[in-house]
Amino acid sequence: MSYVAVENLVKKYGDITAVDHLSFTVSKGEIFGLLGPNGAGKSTTLNIITTLTDFDKGKVTVDGLDIREHKAEIKRLIGMVPQDIAIYDHLNALENVKFFASLYGYGKSDLTRNAMEALEFVGLSDKIKVKPKQMSGGMRRRLNIACGIAHKPKLIVLDEPTVGVDAQSREHILNSIRLLRDRGATVIYTSHYMQEVEQICDRISIIDKGQLIACGTETELVSMVTDVQTVFIKTKIPINFEKETFEKKIKLMPGVKGISEEDSVIKLDISVEQNNIGHIIQEFINFGLPIISIKSELPSLDTLFLTLTGRELR
Amino acid sequence: MIQIIIKETKEFLRDKSNIFFFFIFPVMLVFLLGNLLANLDKAEEVIGEVRIHYGIEGISDIDFVTVKEFIKGLEDRKNFFFNETDDIASSIDLATDGGIDAVVLFKNDPMEIQIYEGTNRIKNRTVNSIMNGFTQLNKAVDIIIKNNKQALIDQPNYESDYIMHKDLGIKRTMLDYYAITMMTMMCFMSIMIGAICFMGERQEKTIIRLRIAPISRVKLFFGKILGLLPQTLLQILILMVFSSLLFGAHYALNLFDNIHLFFMFTVISFTMISLGAVYGLYIDVNPMAGILPVLWLMMFFSGTYSKEIVIEGLSKYLPIYQVQEAAFDLTIFGRHQKANTVIIVCLIISLAALVFGAMGFLRKEEK
Repeated sequence: MSYVAVENLVKKYGDITAVDHLSFTVSKGEIFGLLGPNGAGKSTTLNIITTLTDFDKGKVTVDGLDIREHKAEIKRLIGMVPQDIAIYDHLNALENVKFFASLYGYGKSDLTRNAMEALEFVGLSDKIKVKPKQMSGGMRRRLNIACGIAHKPKLIVLDEPTVGVDAQSREHILNSIRLLRDRGATVIYTSHYMQEVEQICDRISIIDKGQLIACGTETELVSMVTDVQTVFIKTKIPINFEKETFEKKIKLMPGVKGISEEDSVIKLDISVEQNNIGHIIQEFINFGLPIISIKSELPSLDTLFLTLTGRELR
Repeated sequence: MIQIIIKETKEFLRDKSNIFFFFIFPVMLVFLLGNLLANLDKAEEVIGEVRIHYGIEGISDIDFVTVKEFIKGLEDRKNFFFNETDDIASSIDLATDGGIDAVVLFKNDPMEIQIYEGTNRIKNRTVNSIMNGFTQLNKAVDIIIKNNKQALIDQPNYESDYIMHKDLGIKRTMLDYYAITMMTMMCFMSIMIGAICFMGERQEKTIIRLRIAPISRVKLFFGKILGLLPQTLLQILILMVFSSLLFGAHYALNLFDNIHLFFMFTVISFTMISLGAVYGLYIDVNPMAGILPVLWLMMFFSGTYSKEIVIEGLSKYLPIYQVQEAAFDLTIFGRHQKANTVIIVCLIISLAALVFGAMGFLRKEEK
């Protein structure tokens, strides 16, 4: 059952079409990933769903309510965690969360209780009297989340919630999001980190130039890219190896989509139709690179993204 | 809305720079300017006795009576001494030598006044001022004669009514002057708080959360504006209390007038906050660049920093000058009319600004 339904959404800014007949649904209780390169229309779409921005054509419903007709009710259902940390530096953690929760009509006793629960949820229960400027970047991000969920929203929109945080805080944030989903919330999640999206999203959509170009589970999406396989060749790279010349030569070979090297493992994205692996290995030998091992893997989300959009995500 | 007001107050009072610039700094200014510039209140020279020889030649009967009455009025002041002379030339020589201060000749019909100055610059200016005053009076008399001669004949002696010494009760100093002008300055500076209150939310990105929340934007707008009122009240109160208790500055003579003064300044501050909010919503120029220079210039030419800096034909039309005049009228003379006018005008401007600002906030779409 759809909790959020976007139908033929169009939004223009002058001559620029930011969202171009976009349609997708988000099921109740799922974590829905929204991916796209810069300028794809992700932020505009999120702004429309969260009632920040109006739109030109189409229809958006949240929990069956039309966003244009039931704006005030929909606002009560939504919690937003913006990409930019949106908290007040002169209020401590508890005051920040209480203030934002108070905008949703909670009474005094409920406010404190909800605020404490939110802070405990993000692991900041021991920092309630601390002001944001005295917190680390990871803590500020967590406080940012707490401010967006204190009023117990049914739909939570997180716009790149882990930007600039350390690995420990990131893990904590991702676990928290899973927990929110487990408690019944529906989550829309955007990120530039493919690994995160792969880790926590139930379904993923990819948008580019305002249009939806793919949508489904990770398995479904990857199966769209069956014409590309990734081959890992472990080798031993000698000193004074002409790496640039080698990579240039390999890239020019038919069927090779991409090449990279890390820790003496050469990663190749090769077209399945033009399987040129024999010639490629010959080049390895010509350049004096011994073949220690070869491994092939299914395409990753990275590969999928690159194939579908023709661009790196960053 | 209450939560927004509380949040605004907390944010403002916890910012150390606000505490300094809006509370401590104005109190310091009152003390510093009031003491360092205390000598502005003192005259550079004492006029002393002014001795004048005067002659009358060929003026009309009415002018004759006017001149005699005028001279008698001055002589009653005890420092002007007039002697009528037939020998103008000798009197002029005496003035040149410093024996007397000036020679004045009233001649012809219509009357002309010729002044032969002495050697003392201050006394020369005094004589010129007096004669200018007499000329104006004479013109007024001429107009009445032409239009309603009977009024001159029937006129009772108002002298004891229109010249009345007022006991001002206390000896006022430059500290009192700067107490009022610095208060005025702080009230007008409130426009900056209004201008940055929405800019601050945009810079901190918290405006996004406020706009997503299910709170009406009108409530949000008014909550933000009203949230700035408590610190305004506190600021005015602190300045009045500290400058009078610590430095001995005097405001109005009684509690009611002081409350009236407090109310006037509060209304002015609120008006400036409202105007600042409109600026912050509609104009994308940093208020430090857009508002502050204009404010400084207005204050400069309104006598806020020095009562000597006043431009004829300009200063008295500036809002800051009008407010200061209303405040001085209230504090020194106990007159409420100008203060009431300021309050009414400010309330009207506030209402217009709030309506305009609320409309702008409702329509404005975040980029």
